[in-house]
Amino acid sequence: MKSIIKSVAPMLMMLLAFSLNAETKNQITCTGSTTVLPIAQATAEVFMNNHAEINISVRGGGSGVGIASLQNKTTDICNSSRPLKSKEISTAKAKGINPIPYAIANDAITIVVHNSNLLNNLSIKQIKDIYTGNIINWKELGGANVPIVVISRDVASGTYEVFNDKVLAGAKVIGSAQLLASNNAVISAVSNTPGAIGYVGLGYLNDNAKLLSVNKVTPSELTVKNNSYPLSRKLYMYTNGKAKGIVANYIGFIQSDRGQKIVVEQGFINIK
Amino acid sequence: MKQLSLMQKLVCMGLLIIPFGLNGLETKLSGEFWGRWLSEIAKRKDSNGNYEDKLVNNYFSLERGYLGLETKFIDQVKGRFTVDVFTTDKTYEYQTYSLEDSTLISSSKSGSIDGVGLKIKYAYVDFGGLIPIKDLSLTAGMQKVYFGSIYDWNYTLVSKAPSDEHKVVNSADLGITVNGYLPSGYGEYAFGIYNGEGYKKVGTNLKDNTDFAYLGNLRITPITGLTVGGSYMYNTVGRDKDLNGEVTNPSYEKQQLMDIYTCLAYGPVNLISECIIKKVDYPNLSDSNNTKEYTARGISIFPILNLKDFVKYDLQLVGGYDIWDESDRIETDKARNKVIASTIGVNYNFMPDETYTPVMQLQLNYIDKNYDEDKSHSDYANGRRDSSQIILQLKWKFANIL
Repeated sequence: MKSIIKSVAPMLMMLLAFSLNAETKNQITCTGSTTVLPIAQATAEVFMNNHAEINISVRGGGSGVGIASLQNKTTDICNSSRPLKSKEISTAKAKGINPIPYAIANDAITIVVHNSNLLNNLSIKQIKDIYTGNIINWKELGGANVPIVVISRDVASGTYEVFNDKVLAGAKVIGSAQLLASNNAVISAVSNTPGAIGYVGLGYLNDNAKLLSVNKVTPSELTVKNNSYPLSRKLYMYTNGKAKGIVANYIGFIQSDRGQKIVVEQGFINIK
Repeated sequence: MKQLSLMQKLVCMGLLIIPFGLNGLETKLSGEFWGRWLSEIAKRKDSNGNYEDKLVNNYFSLERGYLGLETKFIDQVKGRFTVDVFTTDKTYEYQTYSLEDSTLISSSKSGSIDGVGLKIKYAYVDFGGLIPIKDLSLTAGMQKVYFGSIYDWNYTLVSKAPSDEHKVVNSADLGITVNGYLPSGYGEYAFGIYNGEGYKKVGTNLKDNTDFAYLGNLRITPITGLTVGGSYMYNTVGRDKDLNGEVTNPSYEKQQLMDIYTCLAYGPVNLISECIIKKVDYPNLSDSNNTKEYTARGISIFPILNLKDFVKYDLQLVGGYDIWDESDRIETDKARNKVIASTIGVNYNFMPDETYTPVMQLQLNYIDKNYDEDKSHSDYANGRRDSSQIILQLKWKFANIL
C-alpha cells in the first residue's frame, strides 16, 4: 500500500500543475437549449470579433443535453430554458459540479398556429385540452372545420418542460402529436401545415405563423417582465461554480447593455 | 449461444413488441453490454498437497447484456422494465420444498444447455406526485435496493459494489419504496420494504419466511463534491418456527446491515469509500459454542483519477482496496473468512454521444485477492483461493426515444 501511495503522490502533484495550466485556455464550449441558441451564437460572434484569441463553440441539443453535458464536465456553459430540478442539482453536486445560474434574457413560450387559422386567443385550459386530445377540431373553439395537428417538442427540450409545467400540469400529450427537436422545426412545421398548433420561444416568431394571445394577454416586454403573460420565463446559462476567466467575461458581456441589445435583436426581452 | 428456452423467447419477443404497442407514449429503449476477457491465476494443490499458482480461468464472455424499456405514462408516472441477458454455462440447482413444513423434498443440479442466462433486473412503476411532497416518488415492483453504493454503482472499476461483492444485499429486489431528493440539491433519501432475497430468487427458492426486509437510506451533499450517506437494513433469513408443529428453526437468522458511504469529487479526483457492518444473530441457537451471533465488517476505498483534461485521450486511472472480514463467524463446517482485494486499472472512454459523453469504455483491471486463512484447512475461505485476475472489458451502451 505504501508503494502505491508513493507512486500516486507524484502523479497528483503533476496533475495539480496541469490543472493550473488549464485555467489559461482560450476555448469556451456552450451546449444546450435550442431556444438560447440564437442568443449564444449572436453574442459569441460579436465577443469573438472583439477577442480574436478566444474561440467559442456553440452547440444545441436541448436543455436536457446541456445539463447532462455540464454534469459530465463536457461543456463550460450549459444553456437552459428552464431552471434545474432538484435531482439534477443533486446529481451534479455529488459529481463535484456546482451549477450556478446566470439569467441572460426574458422569454415567453408563444402559441403559434397556421396563418389561415381564424382564432386570435386561447385560454390555458383550451391549450391543455388541445394537447391532451380533448379538443381535436378547430370548429370546437369557433374556428374552421379543420382537424387540429398538434406539434410539440421532444423531452430533452427545456421549452417542453416549461410548457408541461405551466400548461399541461403533468398531463400526457396526445399520442398523435409530432415531437420535434427544435424551435425552428416547430415554426416550420406550423407554417406549412393548415390546422397546426405549436409553441416556440419568442425569438423564433416570424410572419409565417400566427401568434395567439393566451388568456387574452399578448406576449410583450411589459407582460413578460411583469409576469402577466402566463407563459413567461427566464433563459439561463449555467456554469460549474461562479464563472471565472474568459467564461465570466463572455457571460458578463451578454448581461451588459451591448449584450442585452443583441438579445433584443434576436427577438427576446432583456433582463434589465 | 445455442437455443433460447421458451421463457427467454417470450421475454425477447416482448421486448420487440412492447414498443409498438406503446404507440403515442414516450418510450425509451436502452441497452448496455459488457464483453469481457478474464484470465485468472489461483492457488491450487499440487500432487504433494502443496499450493501452487495455476491458470484456472481464461475465457471470453458477455458478462452483462441489459436491455431496457422506460415509458412515461404521464409526466410523473414512469415504468421501467430491464432484463439482463448474459453468456453462462454454469450449473444451476433446483430445489423443491414441502409447502407444509418447508423441508427439502428433492434437489437436482443441471447444466445450462443454452449458453445463455436471463434475469429480470427491473420491473417497476414510479409514481411521482402521488404523495404531496416535492420531488418524492413512490416506486413499486422489482427495483433498486437503496443501500450503500449499490444502487448507483456505475462500474468505473470492473468489480461490483462492495455490498454486492460480499453478498450483503442484492442490487435489486421486489418491494415498495418512497424515494426523493432534498431541496437545492442537498441530497437524497429512500425508505423501503422489500422481500429481502433479491431479484434472483422466486417461487420455491424464495426465502422460507414471511418477513419483509426494511430499509432506510440518506445521502447528504453539504458542499459541492462531498457526499456522505448512511444506510440501514433489517432482514431475516429462514422461518423462525416451522408451520407444522411450531418447532424452532436453528438456522433462522436476523440481520442488521449498516453502511456508511462517502464520496469526494474534486477536480480530476474522485474518492469513494464505504464501510459495511453486517450483524447476524441466530436467536434459536444456544450460546454454548459462541455461534449465536457474528459481525462481519468491510472497508473499501476507490480512488479514481480522470486524465481527460491533461492528456489527449479520455483516460481514467482507477484503484481499489477492499477488506471484508468475516473472521468473527464461527461455524462448525466452514472456515473463517477474511479477504483483501486490491485493484488497479485504467479506463479508456470513447465514442461520445450527443452530450459528448462517451458511450464506449475499454477497461483493463488487475485484481489481486488474498485470503487471510489457515490454508491447511480443507475448506479454507469456503472453497475460494488466493487469486490474481486480469480483466479486459469493453462496455457499450445506447439509448433512443421511440
